Amino acid sequence: MPKKDGFSAELKKNKILFLMLVPTIAFFLINNYVPMVGIYYAFTKFDIQAGLFGSPFVGLDNFKFLYQSNILWNITKNTILYNLVFIAVGNLLQIFIAVLLYKLSGNVFRKVTQTLMFMPYFVSYVILGVLVYNLFNYELGFINTLLKSLHIQPLDVFNSPQLWPVLIPVFYMWKWVGYGTVIYLATMLGISSEYYEAAEIDGANIFQQIRYITLPQIKPTFIILVLFALGSIMKGQFELFYQLVGSNGNLYITTDIIDTYVYRSLMFDFDIGIGAAGGLYQSVFGFILIITVNFLVKRRNPEYALF
Amino acid sequence: MKKRNLRIFCLAIVTVLLLGVLAGACFTADGAANLKPVELQFYMVGDAPKDLQLVQEKINELAKKDLNVTVKFNYTSWTDFSTKYNLLLQTGQPIDLIYTASWLDYAKLARKNAFKPLDSLLPKYAPQLYKFVPKDYWNQVKVNGKIYTIPATWKEFTSNGFQYRKDLQKQFNLPEPDSLENVEKYFEGIKKNMPGQVLTGEYVSPGPGSWSFSALEILQMKYKWVNFGTPYGLVADYSNPSNIKAYWGSPEFAADMKMFKRWADKGFWSRSALSAKTDMTAFDNGKVVAIIQGQNPNKYGASLVSAKNAHPDWEIGYVPYPAVNGIAQVAHATQNGYAVPFSSKNPERALMFYQKLVLDKRYNWLSQYGIEGVHYNVKDGYYEPIGDPTKTGFGREGMNGWGWRNPDYMLFDKSFDAVKVIFEQMGTIASKSKYRGINIFDGFAEDYSSYQSERAALGTVLTQYLAPLEAGLVSDVDAAIKVFMEKAKAAGLEKIQKEYIKQWKAYCAQYNYK
Amino acid sequence: MGLNMQSKYVIFFNILAYLFVSIMTILCVLPFLIIISGSLTDNTSIATSGYHLIPRVFSLEAYRTIFQFPEGILQAYAVTGINTLVGTTLGLFFISMAGYVLSRKDFKYRNTISFLIYFTTIFGGGLIPWYIMVNNVLKLHDSYIALCYPGLMTPFLIILMRTFIIHSFPDEMYEAAKIDGAGDFRIYRSIVLPIITPGLATVGLFLALNYWNDWYLSSMFISTPSKYELQFYLYNMLNSYQALNQMLSGSGASVVINPPSESVKLAMAVIATGPVLLLFPFVQRFFVAGITVGAVKG
Repeated sequence: MPKKDGFSAELKKNKILFLMLVPTIAFFLINNYVPMVGIYYAFTKFDIQAGLFGSPFVGLDNFKFLYQSNILWNITKNTILYNLVFIAVGNLLQIFIAVLLYKLSGNVFRKVTQTLMFMPYFVSYVILGVLVYNLFNYELGFINTLLKSLHIQPLDVFNSPQLWPVLIPVFYMWKWVGYGTVIYLATMLGISSEYYEAAEIDGANIFQQIRYITLPQIKPTFIILVLFALGSIMKGQFELFYQLVGSNGNLYITTDIIDTYVYRSLMFDFDIGIGAAGGLYQSVFGFILIITVNFLVKRRNPEYALF
Repeated sequence: MKKRNLRIFCLAIVTVLLLGVLAGACFTADGAANLKPVELQFYMVGDAPKDLQLVQEKINELAKKDLNVTVKFNYTSWTDFSTKYNLLLQTGQPIDLIYTASWLDYAKLARKNAFKPLDSLLPKYAPQLYKFVPKDYWNQVKVNGKIYTIPATWKEFTSNGFQYRKDLQKQFNLPEPDSLENVEKYFEGIKKNMPGQVLTGEYVSPGPGSWSFSALEILQMKYKWVNFGTPYGLVADYSNPSNIKAYWGSPEFAADMKMFKRWADKGFWSRSALSAKTDMTAFDNGKVVAIIQGQNPNKYGASLVSAKNAHPDWEIGYVPYPAVNGIAQVAHATQNGYAVPFSSKNPERALMFYQKLVLDKRYNWLSQYGIEGVHYNVKDGYYEPIGDPTKTGFGREGMNGWGWRNPDYMLFDKSFDAVKVIFEQMGTIASKSKYRGINIFDGFAEDYSSYQSERAALGTVLTQYLAPLEAGLVSDVDAAIKVFMEKAKAAGLEKIQKEYIKQWKAYCAQYNYK
Repeated sequence: MGLNMQSKYVIFFNILAYLFVSIMTILCVLPFLIIISGSLTDNTSIATSGYHLIPRVFSLEAYRTIFQFPEGILQAYAVTGINTLVGTTLGLFFISMAGYVLSRKDFKYRNTISFLIYFTTIFGGGLIPWYIMVNNVLKLHDSYIALCYPGLMTPFLIILMRTFIIHSFPDEMYEAAKIDGAGDFRIYRSIVLPIITPGLATVGLFLALNYWNDWYLSSMFISTPSKYELQFYLYNMLNSYQALNQMLSGSGASVVINPPSESVKLAMAVIATGPVLLLFPFVQRFFVAGITVGAVKG
């Protein structure tokens, strides 16, 4: 809480700016901050007539399902590792393609390919699940039909957990490549052309221009994207995993993440307390992670830190 | 004018029936004049029919006159209906009547105080309905000794059966698949004669408390259990329900899992079955040659029509599991019902209206079949839709009125006759069984509040370790069983079993199921 | 001579770029072609012989099933279209204002507020309190506002906007504008907005896509079918077929519901995506390089 006079002085000075921020503040208060009282559900045994604050307090009982079967470490590890791969490989690929598109000579080619690369974004995970199943089905799948006609041993993808740490990131990249590319491209387009003109006069070739002008200029965007990805690292991409892996227990060892685990636990028993407990675990863990990362960023370059 | 005569005839018959049922009940038409006008909020799961507004207006015309009530019918839509249903009840939205079902956790919600107890309200505000519903139905829906829902009284059999291609069985001279051995021979024979033909579309499906592999249902040809969901691996025979014992980890369990592995290795289902999704049309379009799971008489009847339409040369066989193991169970009273949520401000009027919906034929037919002459006709006592049934604005039971079905008024499609034959067969089987087809298991309202987190943990273990076993998609059955049992124990299986057995035995003692 | 060397690099770069981008594009388009072809294939053919680039047995049955009640689907298109338009316009206005204010170095609380906005991506109260808020407190049940307001802003887009503005708008320009006597809002409207066109286009695109793809808000808050959004209309259709088939137990009727299930799923994807892909080139007009900071003046 800022000092009272300091705040009112600021309010007076930047009246218009505050006014311009009113919709945003109202939005997040109503939509996010007030409902946060619901975190308390995680510590109660919910009774319908008693309501949120009348329900009995049960301490950490609702969290028991997370650590009961010694699975917590595995799902936490899976969640973090997958997301790290998504963030690292995803951003690199998107930046790479954005640079190629940005510096490409053909205008029409750029526009057409950019549109087409956006198409996977529209393929919902439900449909992706259908396609993947038909691609890899052991007896009739596209890949195995091909392998069989070449007299190669068919792949038993749906009973081979070791393949999925590759497959899942591949489908993730596929789906998001167009989306991320648009962000980076927009940032690059915001770079003043004067920089390049100057560089060209200095004799910098196209690769040098990319290295010394384009890449440094997109760094803030990159950091924002990474920070947001990290912020939801404990949650992200439930649908991707759920639709691709679903109920296939043979794959869980490498594909189970916190979200899918919590979902499975609640699937047959809608319990407000247990659901809230799962969410809170993700939030607290994610929060610690993000504070650490931000701290490191701030030490190296305070301008890029988020807060 | 023939139609009109028929209507009058029907009406007369029904009136007589009604009088019989309600013998002794007085027919005082409640004067609506001295009642305050009220709008009732009525909730149902699923999608509203297209012509809901039309029908709602007609019903409200009647209700306004009779009870000074108007009703708003609300629907959850089928998307995420169970989440939304729970949200409606748990966030205290004012609702006057809501659908309940055992598969929507009726007992658990009642225990969490979601509904108003109706014991004292019913005789006062819905006396005829109170008498109309048989006593043992009221007993079956009690939770902690109180009535929380008004059960529907139509008796239906929800047991499943094994559906297969009888033409192929005959063609290749295979035995009728009426036992595990013969089912195996049937599949093997088709595999041999039609290499490349997919046999079944088995998949991992939601069961009670977790996912399980759908082929598991074939075990109904072997056991006489009260329930095939085997909650927490506990089973009891229908003829001796109180003798409940552990199935998981037993020698039978290992033998069964080995059989499933043998079946999987022989290619009775895909090696990718754990990731397969159910394909409702697979049998009808010839992709598979058998359905093991979930094929109840109704679905068999539907399949009979649609598959025969597309392939007139087919012959479709059906072995009801009750015909093999001798256990046919009528749907339990908690299968369909209506409750008054605790948030209701007008429970009295809600009950008065609901009584009309069930017992007043005008209300009942309107809400079940739509407007006569617009949506349907009655011909020779059969229900007949007007126009293309897939494009109608109000189909049969268009408002999903399973809860207020009145057996005395129900109209059936002509094609339902095939199903009725099987129902009769099951009725005979049921009457010979020890508890005359009472669904012992569905009436048991497990209270898992003391082991809720163990239950949640176990559910995930089952999906991960048990379903692959059931699908025979493990390399070493004994080793996989060992891992599964270890994980289940870590999740708290023993604690759950102990508590569950205690509750089950108390339940059996209460209803005298020995 | 230097130029010669440079153009060699450019040629090399272009070969690399054309090659790589072409491969990526094919990988992205191929599945989509399969989807389109599948949606035009007879369902039995899909069941027995799988998906192909060219339909083995051509059929329009899937589209016929979906357009069974054309007025319903057209209504859903209209709801989604208007909602997307209104939501994106309003959202873009609010987000760009917020991004602008939070980018101002002389605004003392910019970091605190940025953090509080970001914080909501990590911490939340969960579904139920939010549902109670919208449904019981704001009483937006079955109202169009419930479809529109929750999508107006996302923390990500606000912070992204802020980055775009900081990026293309040096501090000195504020100072200069202030000295010229321009008010805070005027700087935003006449100086900031015109410069950040690619940023606005990006954020607008993402906002619009979020609105277009939403089905969840319809599912949670809407109970009148004529107010359904397109994606929910389609998704729910699929769910209801599935549910009805499972519920057929005890329906007492054998009205046969046998939708061409696989092809319908694919046709839905085509129907929901088509219009957006047609609009995409128009959005691209805003992705134009070369607007330099100096070129724009109050």
